[in-house]
Amino acid sequence: MNSFAERFSTTSATAQMRIAQAAAADEEEFDGAMWGSDAGFGSLAKGVPSFSVPAVADPTSFLRLHTDDHADPNCRIKIKHGTTTLAFRFQGGVIVAVDSRATAGSYIASGTVKKVIEINPYLLGTMAGGAADCQYWETYLGMHCRLHELRNRERISVSAASKYLSNLVYGYKGMGLSMGTMICGWDKTGPAVFYVDSDGTRLKGDLFSVGSGSTHAYGVLDQGYRWDLTDEEAQELGRRSIYAAGHRDAYSGNTCNLYHVKEDGWKFIGNYDISQMHYDGPGDVPGAPGGGYGYDIRVEGRNSSNPPAVAAAA
Amino acid sequence: MHHTKPLCPKPPSNASTMASPSIYTSPGFNFTNELRNNFMAEKGLPLPKATSTGTTIVGCLFKDGIILGADTRATEGPIVADKNCEKIHYITESIRCCGAGTAADTEFTTALISSNMELHALSIGRKPRVVTAMTMLKQMLFRNQGRIGAALVLGGVDSTGPHLFTIHPHGSTDKLPYVTMGSGSLAAMAVFESGWQPNMERAAALDLVKAAISAGIFNDLGSGSNIDACIITESQTDMLRNVEMPNPRVQKERGYTFRRGTTAWKTESVRDLVVKEEITFVGGDAMDTT
Amino acid sequence: MSIMELNGGSVVAMVGKDCVAIASDLRLGNQALSVATNFQKIFPVTDRIYLGLPGLATDVTTLRERFRFRVNMYTIKEEREIEPETFAHLVSSTLYEHRFGPYYIEPVMAGLSKTPSGGVKPFIAATDLIGCLNFAKDFVVAGTASTKLYGVAEGLWEPDLEPEDLFETISQTLLNAVDRDAFSGWGCIVHVITKDKVITRTLKGRMD
Repeated sequence: MNSFAERFSTTSATAQMRIAQAAAADEEEFDGAMWGSDAGFGSLAKGVPSFSVPAVADPTSFLRLHTDDHADPNCRIKIKHGTTTLAFRFQGGVIVAVDSRATAGSYIASGTVKKVIEINPYLLGTMAGGAADCQYWETYLGMHCRLHELRNRERISVSAASKYLSNLVYGYKGMGLSMGTMICGWDKTGPAVFYVDSDGTRLKGDLFSVGSGSTHAYGVLDQGYRWDLTDEEAQELGRRSIYAAGHRDAYSGNTCNLYHVKEDGWKFIGNYDISQMHYDGPGDVPGAPGGGYGYDIRVEGRNSSNPPAVAAAA
Repeated sequence: MHHTKPLCPKPPSNASTMASPSIYTSPGFNFTNELRNNFMAEKGLPLPKATSTGTTIVGCLFKDGIILGADTRATEGPIVADKNCEKIHYITESIRCCGAGTAADTEFTTALISSNMELHALSIGRKPRVVTAMTMLKQMLFRNQGRIGAALVLGGVDSTGPHLFTIHPHGSTDKLPYVTMGSGSLAAMAVFESGWQPNMERAAALDLVKAAISAGIFNDLGSGSNIDACIITESQTDMLRNVEMPNPRVQKERGYTFRRGTTAWKTESVRDLVVKEEITFVGGDAMDTT
Repeated sequence: MSIMELNGGSVVAMVGKDCVAIASDLRLGNQALSVATNFQKIFPVTDRIYLGLPGLATDVTTLRERFRFRVNMYTIKEEREIEPETFAHLVSSTLYEHRFGPYYIEPVMAGLSKTPSGGVKPFIAATDLIGCLNFAKDFVVAGTASTKLYGVAEGLWEPDLEPEDLFETISQTLLNAVDRDAFSGWGCIVHVITKDKVITRTLKGRMD
């Protein structure tokens, strides 16, 4: 029996609480070690679902042999890679912006992937690396965030939620999980962003970008980032950064999904086509300067190959 | 001050060994990219796939001569690169050669031997023999130690009668009354083993060759499309291109023509290929040519 | 990652009614990083022959100059313009000369050849990287988006298209194919060669 649930359960429980207790009772293996109190080894011991593994001597190396297309492009199973995701904290909350392209080798498998995982109304997770890994474990994280709420009668902090995820994936270290994610939300401490990856890294910070296009996104992000950004400016910075990455990086592109987390939870701001942003800009949205983001669109009539009329006449 | 440098630079002592951008470079293969390509291969960048003919090619003896057969599919890995290519190559008027393996190799090897056979025929003043072509081919392939990926079926009729050979990429040869090669060789050989007889009639032998190629087309994934055949007898050679087309493209029910103006374009330039010339007379009188 | 994917790029050529079209993307990349949006891969050889060179960018530049040289030599010696069929064999033998140390290029050619009656006949051809010629009667494709181009072209191409219709067909084929390829795109260029003019258009394509 879960020690937290035991300690805090009351005799006059509401119907919701009884369901929560039943759920907790179902998972007998679930214990305090799961909550990050056992130096990260908790999830190895108990309380995580078990997977069936290939019936071979060394399942880990078997999996790597057939899926690691970075080391061996001829391997049979292509895992979808390549992404640009970013999140940053500012005075007005957290901005989360991602692209929507999924590639398998050179093939663009999809241009409409949802790379922001809505864990609950106050928490967002981003997706980079293995799509299935991120989706499954962040949904699983959402389930436990809800259980936390039921047990403790308060929302889980972003810090605790991200630590839960990082301890979880650490338990699978070296077994082929591939995720690079940002857990973003608003809790008692205000806006918070944590970077968590499948190596077990967990970092608290103001500004992160993950994926093959992250360097391009960082370029724009670093240049325009300030703590006292207005909401409109911050949203525009997120959009503009994803555009830059989608434009330059072969593995990122198609569309940009933009979220804004405030005190009362996250809000989906919009979906913007990157090619349309190149030619015409994001449309009539607050913060947008008007006109396309594309270099040759911005400098039309003002560059060396197409000089201004005055200069040409001179 | 006296310069020790001679006014005229000395010409290169051996001009023929100097690398020059002439089209008259020494004949044969050029290895200048070898070092760079090996470097890239070491970095883990594999060589792109060349077109290969995962093929069914056959040949058999009949009463009056030889019949050669081939399918017409060329592949690039899993892609069908050419749906109707020609795999029966000309060597001389009464000697032909089917090619399987790396498509460029079969193409250029047979073309080279074809010219050498022509020169040979002119020099000896008689019709060249099939063994001569076979020897030229095997010596060329052996010299290159299997690196030229050509697997051939050579057949023809000369003064010593009809001859049929297979030549492997390393230079080994066989002389047999009926032969098959390529990835569909097993399917085709099954047909020959059950159906071939000595001294077959022309029509029966052609049907057998067609059946053998069909077996390859329908049972081997590397072979497909149409059947080519070539009947060589003492007196004449009949190249039967697409003698059978068992896999016609199904007619499209409707077209996909786009309405003009569908595609958005940014800039346009038109190069006029018609030279326009206008004669403008300057001044009133014609030129005085007296 | 193959050598073809180092710089990316794709070319397609199609036959129409008394005309041919050849089109390419404009991307120059360094693996995933896109470097330029105006990298020329299609070059005029004569007034009526255009040559597309998708593949390793260094070899695009080298072969472009090499073919220019060899075509000039041919023109001087023969005292006439080279015919598309002849040029295809020139390309083929140049590449096969490098059989054991190839250029990483899969050339695509499109042109109009002269008929004895004074008319023109459409001609397209492609070779693999060691010069195996493929004379197609409908369309030829090459480059990193070749697999996608095969599929789209097989569906969209039809015989006897007029120049303006051929422009739409080849443009839509290329645009839609490169949108499914990570290493091609960033704008496209199309040349439609007819008896009396060559129409060149740059397309408005996706820029990601």
